[in-house]
Amino acid sequence: MILYRGELMEDSRQEELLAALETDLYAPLRRGERLEAETVIRAFDSLARRVLAGEFDDVVRPLLEAFGIGDVQFREMARNFCREGLERKCALELCDPPLLLEGNVLRERRPLGVLLHIAAGNVDALPAYSVAEGLLAGNVNILKLPMGDSGLSVRLLRELVLTEPRLGEYLYVFDVPSLETETLRRLAKLADGVVVWGGDAAAAAARQLAEVDTKLILWGHKLSFAYAEPDAEDAALSALARSVCQTEQLLCSSCQGIFVDTADPDVQRAFAERFFPLFRAASREAGPPDFGMRAKNAVSLYTERLEGRTGLYSGDGVTLRLLEGEDLELSWLYRDLWIRRLPLERLYDLRRYKGHLQTAAVLAPDPEKRREIRRILGDAGVCRITGPGNMSRSVCGEAHDGLYPLREYTRITETELTAGEAEAWKRKHGGFPNG
Amino acid sequence: MDATGRLFRRRRVYDEAGSEALFLRAMEENVRRHYAGCPEYRSILDAAGFSPESLRSREDLTRLPFLTTLYLKRHTLLSVPERKLLVRAESSGTGGTRSRIGFDLRSLWLGLLMVIRVGRQRKLWSLRPANYVIFGYPPGKTGASKTAYGFTFFAPALRRTYALERTVDGGYALSWDKVIRELRRCSRSPFPLRTMGFPAYTYFLLRELKARGIRCPMPRGSLVALGGGWKQFYAEKVDKADFYALVKDVLDIDESRIVEFFGAVEHPVLYADCPCHRFHVPVYSRVILRSPEDFSPVPDGQPGLVDLLTPMMQSAPLSSVMTDDLGILHREPCPCGAESPWLEILGRVGISDIVTCAAGAEEFLRGEKEAEG
Repeated sequence: MILYRGELMEDSRQEELLAALETDLYAPLRRGERLEAETVIRAFDSLARRVLAGEFDDVVRPLLEAFGIGDVQFREMARNFCREGLERKCALELCDPPLLLEGNVLRERRPLGVLLHIAAGNVDALPAYSVAEGLLAGNVNILKLPMGDSGLSVRLLRELVLTEPRLGEYLYVFDVPSLETETLRRLAKLADGVVVWGGDAAAAAARQLAEVDTKLILWGHKLSFAYAEPDAEDAALSALARSVCQTEQLLCSSCQGIFVDTADPDVQRAFAERFFPLFRAASREAGPPDFGMRAKNAVSLYTERLEGRTGLYSGDGVTLRLLEGEDLELSWLYRDLWIRRLPLERLYDLRRYKGHLQTAAVLAPDPEKRREIRRILGDAGVCRITGPGNMSRSVCGEAHDGLYPLREYTRITETELTAGEAEAWKRKHGGFPNG
Repeated sequence: MDATGRLFRRRRVYDEAGSEALFLRAMEENVRRHYAGCPEYRSILDAAGFSPESLRSREDLTRLPFLTTLYLKRHTLLSVPERKLLVRAESSGTGGTRSRIGFDLRSLWLGLLMVIRVGRQRKLWSLRPANYVIFGYPPGKTGASKTAYGFTFFAPALRRTYALERTVDGGYALSWDKVIRELRRCSRSPFPLRTMGFPAYTYFLLRELKARGIRCPMPRGSLVALGGGWKQFYAEKVDKADFYALVKDVLDIDESRIVEFFGAVEHPVLYADCPCHRFHVPVYSRVILRSPEDFSPVPDGQPGLVDLLTPMMQSAPLSSVMTDDLGILHREPCPCGAESPWLEILGRVGISDIVTCAAGAEEFLRGEKEAEG
């Protein structure tokens, strides 16, 4: 389905609608209309509450099940769309009200204009969230759906327009397969900013797509990991194992492996042997993983054994692999972790993964050491540093991969006023003498 | 003649019980041969403490260490000198990397004996010339394209038309107009049409024809053959009944004239479905369904990983190969009368079409930049 100016349309009308887009897209901006954040917040808040109340369970539940998203995580996701979350976001990210510079230059934040969102086929409600952010910043939004979208995004956004008809003119959703580069290029040409969610391949493709006059905002794929002292407590290890089993390692923030602060293979092995039973227990507690994924990991591990590799553990649906080298790499997902040695003095070297680091959990009982590890991780480029159990917890008002999206979706204009106009502005808004 | 030779000359293709002893002896010959000829295989068996001589019973087959398709993608194993390889085939590389398997003269000969018998069983042989339309690639390196080409010899070929054409930049493009023109021509021809192709391609093409309102009723005796599974199109997998109805609608070919093949480069035994569209295990092959927990065999009727065994290959140790497929082995009687159990393929392990954000980052770090979606 297509959503055009907030109205549902048949896919077959895509060509005709694309042709009309150029005229329709800018209509509200041309009229000088301003979309107030409050209007957007009210609409999303009301919709999110209906989602939480179970009104859309027929589409939401199968999706959660397919991706193994638990109830707690789902509520957290939905909470991001509620008033409290969105207001907080605006307060943090758009915290600079208009002001006068040097007495007569008026600085204001304006929307970029039209945003094209290219969504990834991701596990959470990202397409809808990306649009929510675009709207909060006052933009007209075109959403290109990921392949295999379940139809949830179109349905939710349509409901949003029914809740608040004023948003209709700000919402377009096209179901364009990525292969139709020409169509995407046309859309990108109409937009002021292209927001890309996806892997480096998607980002590279977007760079080809957008011309130099179009701002690219890339929300890339990230890797997350844990850093542990050899004396990490059992409770911390269990908490880490539980979060791995709960997210099935599908999120950017999910732990893919553990670096242990040691150069000694025996310490690495002892760590693995202490962690393995806790990992198995967490897996039993979480219930069996997807049969097909478990089969895939079992065959992969068997193949490693055929190749003569050692330090491999498996059971109760989990696999654990002792690896050499200090590389940060993706696990096999679905309850597979690697364990590598990485002495503290080389932790900073992870900065070679610039742009791909996201969350790191720290498992260090000694407070001094813990502070030290956190400092190095932060300096090396990690954006979120957490305890062992909360790698994937979302915090209200948190930045996205180290940036504030709403700032990315807006721009600043500075307008010189006459002395009289500046005086009038000051009288109305209060003065900013040093501004 | 050795047991392998006798196994591949058996007249009854689905006589599992009657071929059991012979199959075991052939497997022992085969494993012994690869143990002697392939050092990598020997060390795998040695590491597992398995000696080829100990292969005496059906249970021993389950104890025999299996290779995996993943392993065969990473390592090309040979039990004969390379110069003895006459034909090489590659898997279609659904997951990126491919297996490369070489066939020596004897493996090919055994394969030919097998194809003659399986084809006879499914009434594929005909002296009446046919027009062939391949919903796939012209013959090339992949096993799939070779199988499709081989298929055009069951009945003398008047003409072979390939839906995918090589383009100047080395890729392939679907030539729609050519396919439609050819199907229209075949529909007026006095000779039957035979198509062969991936189920997904065949389905998409027929669906498109229907959407365009094109119907090409084919002469009596025409045949639609499918092979290679649904691969990345699992999400599109359609109900078989709908598929057969679509074939009937667009090409006017009856369900009884739709035949599906199953096979893999790593297990090149030809499975043809029976008139009830089930893949009975032929005498050249045995199937063990294994549990993902510890690879122990699961009871019939329960899902497991599909491990395929055959003594056919002389040039590479494909005696027992664990595929990436999940399946079920059914032993309930089939109305077609074939006595051997039938294998139902449930799909590939893993869910490759989930795009995760972490997986995307990995792609970059490994330098595997493929165009996305």
